[in-house]
Amino acid sequence: MPSISSYFSLAYLGLLLPLTIVVYAAAPQKIRRWALLIFSWLFFWSISGKLIVYLLFSILSVHHIGLWLSMLQEEGDRLLKAADRGERKALKAQCQRKQRMVMTFGACLHIGILLLLKYGPFFVLNINRVFRALGLHVNLTVPSFALPIGISFYTLQAVSYLFDVYRRKIPADKSMFRLALFMSFFPQIMEGPICRYEDTAGELWEAEPIRFQNLVFGAERILFGAMKELVLADRLNLLIQNVFTNYDTYDGFVIALSAVCYTLQLYMDFSGTMDIVIGSAQIFGVTLPENFRRPFFSRTISEFWKRWHITLGTWFKDYVFFPLSMSKPLKKLTSRARKRLGNHFGPLLSGSIALFAVWFCNGLWHGAGWHYIFFGMYHFCLILIGNMIEPLVLSVTGKLHISRSSLPYRCFQIVRTAVLVCIGELFFRATGLRAGFAMFRKIFTNFTLATFRDRTLFTFGMDQKDYLIVFIAVLLIFVVGLLQEKGIAIREKLAGKNLAVQFSAYYALVLFIVIFGAYGSGYVPVDPIYAGF
Amino acid sequence: MRYAKRIIAFLVFVCGLILLLLAASFLFMPKNNMKEFGMEEVSANGILGEKENTVDVLVVGDSESYSAVTPMQIWKEQGYTAYVCGSSGQTLDYSMTMIRRAFEKQKPKLVFLETDAIYRKVSKSGALLTKLGNYLSVFRYHNRWKSLSWNDLKGHAEFTWTDDYKGYEYNNAVAPCKNQDYMIPSGTAARIPELNRLYVQEIRNYCEENGAKLVFLSTPSPVNWNYERHNGIAALAGELSCDYIDLNLQNEQLQIDWSKDTRDKGDHLNHNGAVKATHYLADYLNQTNLLTDHRGDPEYEKWNEALKRYEAAVSSAGNGQ
Repeated sequence: MPSISSYFSLAYLGLLLPLTIVVYAAAPQKIRRWALLIFSWLFFWSISGKLIVYLLFSILSVHHIGLWLSMLQEEGDRLLKAADRGERKALKAQCQRKQRMVMTFGACLHIGILLLLKYGPFFVLNINRVFRALGLHVNLTVPSFALPIGISFYTLQAVSYLFDVYRRKIPADKSMFRLALFMSFFPQIMEGPICRYEDTAGELWEAEPIRFQNLVFGAERILFGAMKELVLADRLNLLIQNVFTNYDTYDGFVIALSAVCYTLQLYMDFSGTMDIVIGSAQIFGVTLPENFRRPFFSRTISEFWKRWHITLGTWFKDYVFFPLSMSKPLKKLTSRARKRLGNHFGPLLSGSIALFAVWFCNGLWHGAGWHYIFFGMYHFCLILIGNMIEPLVLSVTGKLHISRSSLPYRCFQIVRTAVLVCIGELFFRATGLRAGFAMFRKIFTNFTLATFRDRTLFTFGMDQKDYLIVFIAVLLIFVVGLLQEKGIAIREKLAGKNLAVQFSAYYALVLFIVIFGAYGSGYVPVDPIYAGF
Repeated sequence: MRYAKRIIAFLVFVCGLILLLLAASFLFMPKNNMKEFGMEEVSANGILGEKENTVDVLVVGDSESYSAVTPMQIWKEQGYTAYVCGSSGQTLDYSMTMIRRAFEKQKPKLVFLETDAIYRKVSKSGALLTKLGNYLSVFRYHNRWKSLSWNDLKGHAEFTWTDDYKGYEYNNAVAPCKNQDYMIPSGTAARIPELNRLYVQEIRNYCEENGAKLVFLSTPSPVNWNYERHNGIAALAGELSCDYIDLNLQNEQLQIDWSKDTRDKGDHLNHNGAVKATHYLADYLNQTNLLTDHRGDPEYEKWNEALKRYEAAVSSAGNGQ
């Protein structure tokens, strides 16, 4: 099996995926699920080699802990049934305590492995810094671990499974292989989406036959994703690499432009990957959750995060935000604050504590670096400020007779949100927090259009014609997004047209990618950005 | 019936797509081997403009090859015609492409494969793309959309340009290298990636089928070469029954002075170094008894003319420094 560097590689699109489809289609129903599992493990082995043992360990332990929880729940139920009414309350608390301990053990085990492998060096490095600042001559050895690709994704799936079993939302799975397929399904293991057991495990294990419509729709989506990556994300790569690596040699205008380009690249890379992932799964009759819902149509930062990396946001909401805000101390704080600060600011105070935890984790999840933590805190502050000033904005717009649903006001909100997102992404992509601040400062202190006027702007990795292609491709994606926003299902519409129209659309898209794709000599494809998180 | 219709529709779609890609390939194929026509690796592809069956020796490899071998000197010393089809960062899949391309019009009797390329990792996707580009040139020249003109719609490709340097890249900058004792004897051999090994085998078989002798050539480079790599290539040469010349071990004869003969601190030779390395290779070619001295042959008059221009250019560049 050749090593696969990304879902856009020829090794994946030209070999692994077609081979899996052929084997899956040819196999009888009972064998299909095994074919999926074997190809998933082959895929993981090809990207992570012997580090596959981490995945196998996770599967084994999650399965075992799930069964353990289930056994405790059954035993608790039996004891509660047999117990006297007076003893039930104490017995119930005792049983729940046991179950909570097992669940906590399982969650800590998995998150602990993630913390150790991904953040161990970062933590030790910072502990050493603290020692140095305190004048202590202690220097801990910074560990170095090989990180299996996708660990951040499958770990969150594992933890969500344990939580859901604990909450009795789902029964513990007796079949280890069904659970294994849920955790290792090859199209989504490298970059998500972060699936829930109840949504995908059954469908995967069912292993429906390949249907013509699914095959066509899946292939269309893969093609669209490839266009985003090859025409846009890869084309922008040279400019972004140049500017973010040597930011001190560029002026504020080029830096601002690069921040916009990076935001675009990140979106095209990640959403393009999701198109390939979801399209691949659709071919096998599996509906994976959407990770993007046209985020640049968002009017607020809160809305943006409901449309960008949706499955990560809902994971943090369900497994960090709600448990924290429903915890006893925060409930108490809410009721006290409500009395003192009123109905708007009271709940906001305790909600902000939970929100802080969510955004701290969100920042850290993206990588072991202070600029990632800053990125999380930046969005936390924006959301918090947005919540705080909402009554004020309502009253000001009301007094000025500005209709909040009017097109100009909505456009203003959309542009404002996009600008704030681009600023956040500037810090996110910067080589460090100091570099991020230096770049941000330059936008205001060294803004000049000189590079545009003397045309040197077109020598930094993209010429005029490259910018034109970027504009055309963005326009195409914008129009598709606009139609989707209006509820128009493009693929279904196309399926209703005659073959000549369908073929023309496919040919146009294929030729657009082949001719305008940024591949081959002179281009450096962007590394799968989210696979590194 | 429904399945039959779908299969027919699929086949029609695939045929239509292939026709479109062929049409696009015709459009995007450079119509001449010059930069203005969109040709890639212009110096290396200058061989396409050489008169049919006039090139005796082919050199392929990465930048080490075009920095160390100057064919005009071989012509001057021995009267053999050589051409360097090396290119920057060349991987073996592209070396294979260049060899096939050269053999379409030429029948070289000897092919030098510069060994730095044997250790350069070939990406599977890159290799697949190179193969695809061999059949459908739109995959190789797609970036020409920026410079397409109406002339690209008409006429066949006709390659008329030749390079007076014959693929060699003249550079006489000096950036001394401190590490002169880099060939420290070792018992271990550097591992050659499996895919690279397969490509070398393919190159060897192709040369054999076309009556050419394949010779591995390691040009002097303290940055890129060491004894482990030498051992790896020596073992491979033994397996494939190929000759192997490691110029890194011949410094008593070559007399490379690393304080003067490198342009970038031992990564590549400069012109002084290339002259020394090429002199050795010209002697080696003479000893093989495979080639004929063409200097008196009127068919090769253009090579004499090119030599005059080459010497004038080198001399004026040398004086300019």
